[in-house]
Amino acid sequence: MNNRVARVSMFVTPTNPRFIDKAWTRGGDVYILDIEDSIAPAEKQRCRTLIRESIQKANKGGASIYVRINKPFVDADLPYAVWPGVDRIMLPKTESPAEFKRVHEIILRLEKERGIPPGTIELYPMIESALGAVNIYETLTAAPRKLRSVGGAGGYDMAMNLGIEMFASFDQYAFPVAYVALAAMALDIEATGGVFVPNPSGRVDQGDQAAIQAAALHAAGIHHAGALHPNFIQPLISGLSPTADEITWANKAIETFDKLTTNGESVGQFEGKVIDKYENDMAQRTLDWAAACAAKDAFKASALSRAQV
Amino acid sequence: MNTLTTPGPGEQLMPKYIRRSVFVLSIDDPQLGEKAYASWADAIILDLVKKPDRDWQQDLTSRMPAAIHAAAKGGADVFVRINCDSAAAELEATVFRGISGVVLKGVTAADDVVTVAERLKILEASRGIASAALEIDVEVNTAGAVWHSLEIARASERFGVFLINEPELCKNLGMQSAPNLDFDPLEYIKSQLITVATSVGGQALGMSYPLGLTQENAGDDVVKKAVKRARDTGFKGAICSHASWIKFCNEGFRPTAEEAAYYVKVIEVFAEGIKRGMASVPIDGKMIDVPVDLRAKLYLKWANRAQARDDEKTKAHQ
Repeated sequence: MNNRVARVSMFVTPTNPRFIDKAWTRGGDVYILDIEDSIAPAEKQRCRTLIRESIQKANKGGASIYVRINKPFVDADLPYAVWPGVDRIMLPKTESPAEFKRVHEIILRLEKERGIPPGTIELYPMIESALGAVNIYETLTAAPRKLRSVGGAGGYDMAMNLGIEMFASFDQYAFPVAYVALAAMALDIEATGGVFVPNPSGRVDQGDQAAIQAAALHAAGIHHAGALHPNFIQPLISGLSPTADEITWANKAIETFDKLTTNGESVGQFEGKVIDKYENDMAQRTLDWAAACAAKDAFKASALSRAQV
Repeated sequence: MNTLTTPGPGEQLMPKYIRRSVFVLSIDDPQLGEKAYASWADAIILDLVKKPDRDWQQDLTSRMPAAIHAAAKGGADVFVRINCDSAAAELEATVFRGISGVVLKGVTAADDVVTVAERLKILEASRGIASAALEIDVEVNTAGAVWHSLEIARASERFGVFLINEPELCKNLGMQSAPNLDFDPLEYIKSQLITVATSVGGQALGMSYPLGLTQENAGDDVVKKAVKRARDTGFKGAICSHASWIKFCNEGFRPTAEEAAYYVKVIEVFAEGIKRGMASVPIDGKMIDVPVDLRAKLYLKWANRAQARDDEKTKAHQ
């Protein structure tokens, strides 16, 4: 299925039935089955054994499934994490190309053993330290494994590493976030970070904060955000999808540019705005994204109605 | 060993040094000792003056040991500022027992640091200084130093700190230095230097805009606010342009008592959660999980180390 559309991803703890059993009803594009920080050390082994059945539970509503493993326990976690139905393995606290490559190789072996086309599961380096940030380009090129998007380089762990208190009213991660985004774009990987949205309260459950965040990301052409609470899901999905006005404008811009090129011109105007190849390409991107979102939404709606029967 | 202030096996301290306030004094200052003692700075940088009318190297060599002793009277770590373009001669004249390291100015490439590191190794051996004891800090005042910051920080195990010299950096970048913007034009560079220094286990010292640029004696409230923002940016201290800044840097570049109390609460609540098999528990609407708990422990240790540093200086003043 159309895994490109990941407007919102939310962590889910497989060990907690209250969360994992209801996740599919929340409408998220992606659920991240967590074996890392939301799982107590004593619960990790039980959590690993629950991953396979959790994939089936969490994707009933058409969501993509990621699994976040533990960096110190990759050998223990991966055999429980690499299954058909998993779209991405998330490697937390990635700091070096060597550790990224090693995880890639383990996944490759498991893919072959389990009938998964080799290289199809994405491997996502979570950048959560200064060292991880400065090594990002080398990390992303360390293994021949596809990756649709990458972002991050903020959050609790980065705050801890930099020795800062989070939730200041200004961008505390100006360099690491931008550096990771630039590295991604240089490698033709979609960047999902790079925009600072103040959240001085630090609360993670307020839908209006999610809407503000979505508007800022959307304006910057970023299509993804994370959620720690279900209240964030719908505002992010709405806010990160193209609006009807944007789609109308995109169609008109393309139509105008087509007419220009037919007449042998390259620059013109529509409703007071300059239309050129750049605007045409931007409009085409809007329509592509709108089509992808519509397909994902239709897939989820269909899956949801089947699951509710 | 005090587990509240010292690292456990394999543990990296954050920050590496408790160096909240750095005060620059000339070795020619007749009141050097008194000013250093009265400053309560965590570190003193000794600035050299090469007197043209005499053999400056011999002059410095004869006066440095006393200057170092005077600067250390209040319990400060003592550094010497060295210019890259005459580093070998300056190091020869200034590196003596009692200094913690050198602050290199005018660095534009990793080789500058490598050369000084090699020279320090020889001087340590010949002057009774413990091997690898001397630190190399880098004062950033050029675009070259920013651009090559990662290579510079990785050039030697001795690297400790980036110190940002904003007025000179602005001049080097051709930027106007009038502090009349509603944003910090060096925000990205500051974040870069903090990130790069942290990536090698070091730290960066600097002040927030516009005080880092104007370096004025702006009044207690302004300095306090600027220090808070600098700490939130990731700086672990600042070069204090005025002695009046030092108190606020010492108080501001560390977790506050309220923060320390909150960390204690986080640690307790999370430990209770773990006992109940929960790895994620709420406090006041905020989620407390493993990284938050780790951060609380790390920052509490930071607060305790800062207190220990203050106690050391108090002892030096008795």
